[in-house]
Amino acid sequence: MTDEHTTAGGQSYEESVIEASEANRQRFDDGRWTRIFDHFKREWQIYAMLLPTIIWFLVFLYKPMYGLQIAFKDYSIFRGVAGSPWVGWEHFQTLFSNDQFIRAVKNTITISFYNLLFGFPAPIILALMFNEVMHATYKRTSQTIVYLPHFISSVIIAGIVITAFSPTAGIINTFIGWLGFEPVYFLTQPQWFRPIFVGTGIWQEAGFGSIVFLAAIAGVNPSLYESAVVDGANRWQMMWKITIPSILPTILIMLIIRIGNVMEVSFELVILLYQPSTYETADVVNTWVYRQGLQSGQYDLAAAAGLFNAVVAFVLVMTANTLSRRFSRTSLW
Amino acid sequence: MSGVNLSGIVKSYGAMQVVHGIDLTVAEKEFVVLVGPSGCGKSTTLRMIAGLEEITAGDLTIHDRRVNRIAPKDRDVAMVFQNYALYPHLNVADNMAFGLRIRKMPKNEIKTTIDDVAEILGLTEYLDRRPADLSGGQRQRVAMGRAIVRHPKVFLFDEPLSNLDAKLRTQMRAEIKRLHKRLGVTSVYVTHDQVEAMTLADRIVVMNNGAIEQIGTPMELFNNPSNTFVAGFLGSPPMNQMKGTLTDSGALVGDVEIKINGATGPHAGRNVIVGIRPEHVTLTAEEGTSPLPINLDLVEPLGSEALLHARHGEDNLVFKANTENDIDSLSGVNKVHIPAHLVKIFDADTGKALVLGD
Amino acid sequence: MRKLSLLAALLAGSAVTTPTFADGHLMIVDEPLELTIQMNHARYPIYEESWPVEQAARELTGIHLINDTVGANMRTDENTGRTEALNLMLASGNIPDIVGSSRIRDFVNQFGPEGAFVPLNDLIEEHAPNIAAYYAERPDIEAAVKAADGQMYYVPYLPDGKYGRAFWIRTDWLDALGLEMPETVDEYEAVLRAFKTQDPNGNGEADEVPFFARQWPELIRLVTLWDGRAHGSDTYHDFLVEDGQVTHGYIGEGYREGVKNLARWYSDGLIDAEIFTRGSSARDFLLSENLGGATHDWFASTGGYNSLSEKIDGFKWEAMLPPASPSGRRIEEHRRILVKPDGWAIGHTNENVVETVKYFDFFFTEEGRRLANFGVEGQHYEMVDGKPVFTEEFLAQGPVNRSLYQAGAQLQARGYFQDYDYEWQWTNEFAKAGIELYEQGDYLIPDFLGVAFTADEQQVYDRTWNSIRDYMLERQQSWILGNGDVEADWDDYLAQLDEMGLQELLAVMQSAYERQYGAK
Repeated sequence: MTDEHTTAGGQSYEESVIEASEANRQRFDDGRWTRIFDHFKREWQIYAMLLPTIIWFLVFLYKPMYGLQIAFKDYSIFRGVAGSPWVGWEHFQTLFSNDQFIRAVKNTITISFYNLLFGFPAPIILALMFNEVMHATYKRTSQTIVYLPHFISSVIIAGIVITAFSPTAGIINTFIGWLGFEPVYFLTQPQWFRPIFVGTGIWQEAGFGSIVFLAAIAGVNPSLYESAVVDGANRWQMMWKITIPSILPTILIMLIIRIGNVMEVSFELVILLYQPSTYETADVVNTWVYRQGLQSGQYDLAAAAGLFNAVVAFVLVMTANTLSRRFSRTSLW
Repeated sequence: MSGVNLSGIVKSYGAMQVVHGIDLTVAEKEFVVLVGPSGCGKSTTLRMIAGLEEITAGDLTIHDRRVNRIAPKDRDVAMVFQNYALYPHLNVADNMAFGLRIRKMPKNEIKTTIDDVAEILGLTEYLDRRPADLSGGQRQRVAMGRAIVRHPKVFLFDEPLSNLDAKLRTQMRAEIKRLHKRLGVTSVYVTHDQVEAMTLADRIVVMNNGAIEQIGTPMELFNNPSNTFVAGFLGSPPMNQMKGTLTDSGALVGDVEIKINGATGPHAGRNVIVGIRPEHVTLTAEEGTSPLPINLDLVEPLGSEALLHARHGEDNLVFKANTENDIDSLSGVNKVHIPAHLVKIFDADTGKALVLGD
Repeated sequence: MRKLSLLAALLAGSAVTTPTFADGHLMIVDEPLELTIQMNHARYPIYEESWPVEQAARELTGIHLINDTVGANMRTDENTGRTEALNLMLASGNIPDIVGSSRIRDFVNQFGPEGAFVPLNDLIEEHAPNIAAYYAERPDIEAAVKAADGQMYYVPYLPDGKYGRAFWIRTDWLDALGLEMPETVDEYEAVLRAFKTQDPNGNGEADEVPFFARQWPELIRLVTLWDGRAHGSDTYHDFLVEDGQVTHGYIGEGYREGVKNLARWYSDGLIDAEIFTRGSSARDFLLSENLGGATHDWFASTGGYNSLSEKIDGFKWEAMLPPASPSGRRIEEHRRILVKPDGWAIGHTNENVVETVKYFDFFFTEEGRRLANFGVEGQHYEMVDGKPVFTEEFLAQGPVNRSLYQAGAQLQARGYFQDYDYEWQWTNEFAKAGIELYEQGDYLIPDFLGVAFTADEQQVYDRTWNSIRDYMLERQQSWILGNGDVEADWDDYLAQLDEMGLQELLAVMQSAYERQYGAK
């Protein structure tokens, strides 16, 4: 009695699953569809949980891809996507024969590069600094202060920047005045646009961006630090030899994501800050598309530029991911 | 010269005192195990020795040097952590070399040291692997290797085996014992597992509620627990404890008198706890035993032995008996026989062992 | 249903006060007819059935408009004049019976020939006697409204009155510094320089901003002081017509001369250092802080700032005539354009086209025009000596234009003929004085009324114009800010524009222009 009971009830879950699938295999050796059907029948709850995400992707990411074809059409909103005639690569030819578009591509990459160079390390450095702050109140206060700009709309941010850099009343030029120099009308000088734009981006997002790294740091096993303390490491060594290597996977993932967004310079801020006189350095693909494509209703041309952006971003992400996987075993997929 | 000496060590977090003045001397090359239930203060004590926790009061000396205010790295101790504390981004060799590099040891020396230690621990072929690619036992060895390469004066172990499965734990236990014999370094070892304590320790320190209950060799503690806590903590299963009253000739448990060696007369009428280890009873009457009637609840066969779960009055008791390949006969047991010379008597109020005159 | 009965009650109420309603001679239909409408304008993003003017029109014509506006996104671009809400409507696939919007011309001229809107030529001829009569008098305006296929696709809003913007100056500062009203560009420069250097606001600091503008393209308009041209119409950076030739201001010799001088003015501090970034609050801020000295802005609203004299001692802010260029020409480049690209059109799914055109025509009748201009008699105006006069209570309600919009009058997303008298009645004395000053001479020049393109021409325009305009503005700002020298760069600039297809674009503009308005 006792023995029987043990055999039936004491069987582990894995065993029963293996047994069941064994049985299935024997019964439906060539019934592949039956097996798939059984699989869904058994696991339907898991698929049900997946469903909202799949629907979201289909509706918001895959269905709009249908509209991508207008990049190859002479699109009229009235005639619709299907009713507009094909024109092949004409819009791409238009794009690449346009000096301003080429310039916008170059500007986009340059600004993104600076953003990556200065803007990417900023939140990491900030997170490392916060991690070293011991005083709880001081830490919380300063964290709140640096998170704050993230929650301000770009329009306000641009207003603050324009005011701060104003040649007559701006705080920056007031300082310059105290130092005895002539005021600079920063926002109309092409050479100043990128530093101001990248700096503004860092000011706005570094604090908030540090959260993900702080979370990664919080996930580091505290006994690693204790072990290092016993081994004689100082805080600087712990930061370099424990904290940074431990959050390196997070850093790499964020970097790959960031590289995927290289073509997506935050264009509302550009629109708000640039001037015709700074187009030379400030005009990025998205603002160009906005001016040339959307404002004048040339959706087909805009779609072609958008498709170009997407292809470049796709290639960059693939490359970054592959490199990362090869050299650090960290990757998005 | 003592290896580690704690005198009046106190630890408080704010107003809450968690370690209440510990005095302990660990001799050089001695292997001392701190054992006790979780929350008893054993880990805190170890971390104070390591320097990871500040000492609130008292003196800590290592090799006769007071180290209360000395940074962990200058105490010349090495610590093995419960979860190994291996750096996931470094391979085995670099993990072991970490402390040495920080101390700026020359590269070739580091290599020699690591090769030696890897050899001792059987890690030579894994030196290039990352921790994620190692088994639990291998990780444990790397963690020890990292401590060993430093050649410290004192090893500190913080429950190093508790993340391993039972089989590996037995194996690693033996390995730690061998290592200690070979290296002969003063060691302080924290565990909540009394088997580990018994098997590894030169001396065991039983702790409870932030204080030391008893210090002694494993057999001293096993045979002469100084109080009911120690009696109940060590041994598997632990000592049976029954409420009773001393009489002129023994102890009255319920309405049964159990004979005890020693003069009970002067204490007659005193309320006591009568202790008997499960394995000390016999099923047949022998010279100098007294019978104890029991109600048998359950027989648990362990192979050559079986555990008898039984009741006597209000007391739940466990006894160990040889099965002699006849487990069925055990189900008929209705009394056990208690040898007088193995009975322990504790004061019912204080729980302290009562020493009876002859 | 409940809503309808409520409306009926309201209508009954207003009918009592307005006796003309009983007449019925303007009735278009026997049975009330419902038509859907999309109406977009920055100031009234959707159509409101409760507007008193609409209720009156409904009573008079029997046509009942139902709001069917898709989205209220009224971003219109000053440069291109595109309205996102219209694109949204088209993309949604539903075109209501009537579509009224600001900046509708290019839109209907592109999509009308594709079939999205009903061509109006024959309909107006047959069913809209009042509109037809207006066009018979103004063939130039009729031409301006037509698309490339010769059809009209919308009935425009036709502004009335001549004057828009003017030169304004702090005359109390002139007095304080003992200066005369400047008559020439050199005198104007001297005055601005004096404003900068002689501390007319008397605070001991050289913080005066001699010339400022709410819209920086108004600065560019100053090139007319050196015989240049900036904006060919009330659309900034627009083309212009000279001797029957379509050309652009930004390639003229006078423009080069003007930009050169403006760059000098800028570096000398005669122009607001922040002219390009200060934005729409510039006038409000600089005048109320007693810093701004001169601008180029609308008569009525700018004259209103004289109320600052309560706050700033002696504040006096008056219109001045355009200073004469070195060659002696005095031009006010900005004027009220004769025909706006705003108005309304008939969607292709409209099943009551004739009634709709008759409804459009209603607003060109005497009663309809009065309704569209002044609102409802008794509510907003009274007839005095046969002329509509706004009631005191109505004028006291706040900004008059806003009150009119709220009544459904002066809606420029409706095709109607404005009556300038509506504005004159409440124009402030300073603006009136300015307008009378300008009336004494002949400073206005004709506007470029725009052209409609064929599909091929449109392609050339789309491909070239945006890039060319961007490049022009980029160079323009750089020169004025001193990041380049217009004299040195000029030849390269023209060559680059040709490279970008300016000549091709001008040729296309020219052929479109000749088709539309007849060869010279």
